[in-house]
Amino acid sequence: MMRYAGQALRSLLALPTLAWMLLFFLIPLGLVVVYSFATISLVTYNISFGWTLSNYRQIHDPLYFNTLTRSIFLSISATLGCLLLGFPLAYFISRQPSRWQKLLLVLVIVPFWTSFIVRTYAIVNLIDNGGPLQHFLHALHVLSGPLNILYTPKGIALGIVYSYLPLMVLPIYVSLERIDYNLVDAANDLGANPRRTFRRVTLPLAMPGVVVGCIIVGIPALGEYVIPEILGGGKTLMLGNVITDQFLSVGDYPFGSAIAVALMVVMALALIVFRLAQRRAAPS
Amino acid sequence: MKLRRHWFSGLISLVVIVCLWAPLVIVAVNSVNKDTLLVSWKGFTTHWYNQAYHNPDVRGGVKETMTIALASTAISLVLAVSGSLWWRRAGHRSQRMFDGLTYLRIMLPEVVFAVALFLLFSKIRFPLGTTAVVIGHVVWNSAYATLIIQARVATLDPALEDAAADLGANAWRVFRRVTFPGLLPGIVAAGLLAFTFSFDDVVTSYFLVGSGTAPLPVVILSMIRFRITPEINAIGMMVMLFTVTMFTVGFLAVTRLGRGARRALALPEGRD
Repeated sequence: MMRYAGQALRSLLALPTLAWMLLFFLIPLGLVVVYSFATISLVTYNISFGWTLSNYRQIHDPLYFNTLTRSIFLSISATLGCLLLGFPLAYFISRQPSRWQKLLLVLVIVPFWTSFIVRTYAIVNLIDNGGPLQHFLHALHVLSGPLNILYTPKGIALGIVYSYLPLMVLPIYVSLERIDYNLVDAANDLGANPRRTFRRVTLPLAMPGVVVGCIIVGIPALGEYVIPEILGGGKTLMLGNVITDQFLSVGDYPFGSAIAVALMVVMALALIVFRLAQRRAAPS
Repeated sequence: MKLRRHWFSGLISLVVIVCLWAPLVIVAVNSVNKDTLLVSWKGFTTHWYNQAYHNPDVRGGVKETMTIALASTAISLVLAVSGSLWWRRAGHRSQRMFDGLTYLRIMLPEVVFAVALFLLFSKIRFPLGTTAVVIGHVVWNSAYATLIIQARVATLDPALEDAAADLGANAWRVFRRVTFPGLLPGIVAAGLLAFTFSFDDVVTSYFLVGSGTAPLPVVILSMIRFRITPEINAIGMMVMLFTVTMFTVGFLAVTRLGRGARRALALPEGRD
């Protein structure tokens, strides 16, 4: 008797989380899907629910479709950027003595703790024409004219790389740090040159971390709002900005919902691709 | 020798770390720069700090952000602790569903949550404002808190709780005297993380605040949109100092608590 009472009591522990998620997460998400099939009269703002696909057809409008492809393109290039910079960094950190490892990790993570919006704003100063980055590139003779990347897609990609880099470095570092370096020594002893050892031993063992890093950078970046808002100069450059505009300025909730659903579909597809990659990356 | 072997990755690391810090250094320098256009160094001033300190939007924003962050952290912790304790003894399938729900909340772009809650609240005519923002923050913040506390729960030895129960402690007493002290480092870590995320949030707050007092990050966003003013650098510096101090204090607390809890439960000292 006591035991059953205890079990019932224990199930009650799940109640707060489940109730909150049902009320404020699952039901609202369902509402987004329902709204995405509704129509709105832009004169009276009356919404009539139904099962029309017109909102989804509207996404094919080049204006919005370009935003969709741009979001995907920016997310992929920012993820690659994070990977190209993050992998060497994670590798370098993992090969240092453990005291240095801790210090280097702190140096990577602390900027990440500081206010996200202030950091993004600081990048405006950094990459603006006449800013420090331009001076630096002029000094290296890499560039002669103005830099012209602020308020362009390139600036947005740079901003995403900046803000998401630690999310790429940490999982790769964790998987590199776990590698048994006797394997590397063995490969070297057996006559593999360093490049071959890296390609055939280190890289495959680091793959699980790489895949996790790509997931936690690439997927949230798809729906980024603040970075394109600030570094894109307020033009509607990514899906997050179009959705926000539809809800808070235009007031076309059904169309905004349809874009949100489209964003979730793209996200789900990306996750499936990553899951397949994850299965292949699992060290055998 | 070591360094020479890794000169390539070392060089990239150096450049990346310098780049990560560069924007923060610019904010720090410009926050005390007399030049209003921020193109060159024109001498030291504390004017921007003074201006930020007396700006009513900033003051209201700080108060609003603090209220939201404290409330959403407290609720998130209650959800995370109760959820994780249930999860520990749940069946395999329930566990997987619970985990799926947690990861979904972490993966989904914030704009989607914000839109969804915005629709719900406008549909049921729930007024936008502080309460609405807190509800929204808890949805994703409790997911991060849950991940951390679950990790801590997994390290607890159920035998200790069983022993306490066998010795006659009731459920509440077992929780208060055994489970809670064991979880405390996880609770502090999760609380800090949830507080900073909430403190830093733009998107959910922007959607759900309505015409109420805007939280600080939303105030900063609208300041950036309308004009570039050196005052933002001063606000940014103060926010950064606040979060970094909080994290340092929190980090020390977690390390000490971890040691304290182990001693209290007579567990061997070791790495976390």
